[in-house]
Amino acid sequence: MKTKKANTQCKNIKTWLYDAVTSRFGLNADWVQNHIVNCPRCQRRLASAGKVHLALAIVKSQTHSLNLLMRANTKTIDVLKHSLRYCPKARKLKKMLPEPKLFERCGKYKHSLANTAACIAILLLMKTGVFSSMDKFQSEGQKVVKQYYASHLGQELTDEIFSA
Amino acid sequence: MIGKADSCGLIWDFAVPGSLSSSQRWVLSAMQSWGPELVTMLWRILGNEQDVCDAYQNTFLKLAHFEGGRKPEHIKAYVFRSAANVAISMLRRRITERKNLSELSAAGNNIKSPISELDSRYLQESLRCNIARLPEHLRSVVTLHDLAELSYVQVGKMLGITAATARVYRCKAIQLLAVWMNRKE
Repeated sequence: MKTKKANTQCKNIKTWLYDAVTSRFGLNADWVQNHIVNCPRCQRRLASAGKVHLALAIVKSQTHSLNLLMRANTKTIDVLKHSLRYCPKARKLKKMLPEPKLFERCGKYKHSLANTAACIAILLLMKTGVFSSMDKFQSEGQKVVKQYYASHLGQELTDEIFSA
Repeated sequence: MIGKADSCGLIWDFAVPGSLSSSQRWVLSAMQSWGPELVTMLWRILGNEQDVCDAYQNTFLKLAHFEGGRKPEHIKAYVFRSAANVAISMLRRRITERKNLSELSAAGNNIKSPISELDSRYLQESLRCNIARLPEHLRSVVTLHDLAELSYVQVGKMLGITAATARVYRCKAIQLLAVWMNRKE
C-alpha cells in the first residue's frame, strides 16, 4: 500500500517536474525565442530539426492502395503450409481491408458525445441543486410557521401540533 | 517471385512435422491482429508496395519458422522488430543498387538545388537513406515510434528499455538525422 502511494507520488512529481522544465526551457519559453532570434547557429539547428519533422510528416501522409493489406496477406498465406492455407481464418485474411480503429471511428461522434455529456452533467447538477434547495426551503418554512404558532398560541400547543 | 514463393511453400510443407501443424494458428492470429499496423510501418519505411508485400511475407515466414515452429514469447515485439529489420535490409540493398547505377550513369551529379531540397520525394528518400544509416538502437526507436506510431511505453517494452530511455534515443536519432540531412555532399 505504502509503495503504491509512493509510486503515485513519484509519478506526480515527475509530471510536475516535466511541466515545469518544459515551460521554463521549452521551445516556446520567451528567453529561448529571444535567443533563437539572435543566434544563427540555433536557427540552423532548429531549421534542420524542422526538416526532419517535415520529412517524417510527408512520409506519414503518403497513402498506399486500399488492397495492399489484402495482397500482402494473400502472398504470405500462399507460402504457409496447407493446414493454414485453407482454414477459414486464412480465407478471411485474404479479403481483409484496413479498418480504422475504434477510437478513430468514434472520433466523428466526439463533439456530439461531449455535448450530450455536458447536458447530462448540467441536468444532474440542476436536479441536485433543486432538490437540496427544496429540502432547505421546506425546513426553513416549517421553522417560520412554528415560530408564528408559538408566538400566537403558546409553546406547549405548538409543540403538540408539530409533534403530531 | 510467385515461383519462388511457391517453392518456399513446398519446402515449408515438407519441413514441418505433423505434430506442429495444428498449433500454428497463432501465425494467422498475429497476422489478423497486427497486419494493418505492420503494413503501414513497412509502407512508410519502404515506400514501395511490392517491397512491402515481400517484407511482410518474409516477416511471417520467419515467425512461422521461429525455433522450429515454436510460438515466441512476445509475438508483437518479434513481428514488429523483425519486420523493421527486414525492411531496413531491403532499403539498404536498394540504396546500394541505386548508388551503383548512378555512379555508372552520370559519375555523380551531387549539386543540390534549393528546389530539390524542398521536394517531397527528395525529402522522403533522404530520410529513408539516413534512417537506414542510424545505429541499431536509435533506428529501432525511430521506426517503432515514428513510423509504426507506437507509444514510448510500448517501444520500451519491445526493446527491453524504459520509456524514458526510448525518448532519449528518439531525441538523439532526430539530432543525428538533422545533421545528416543537412550535410552538404
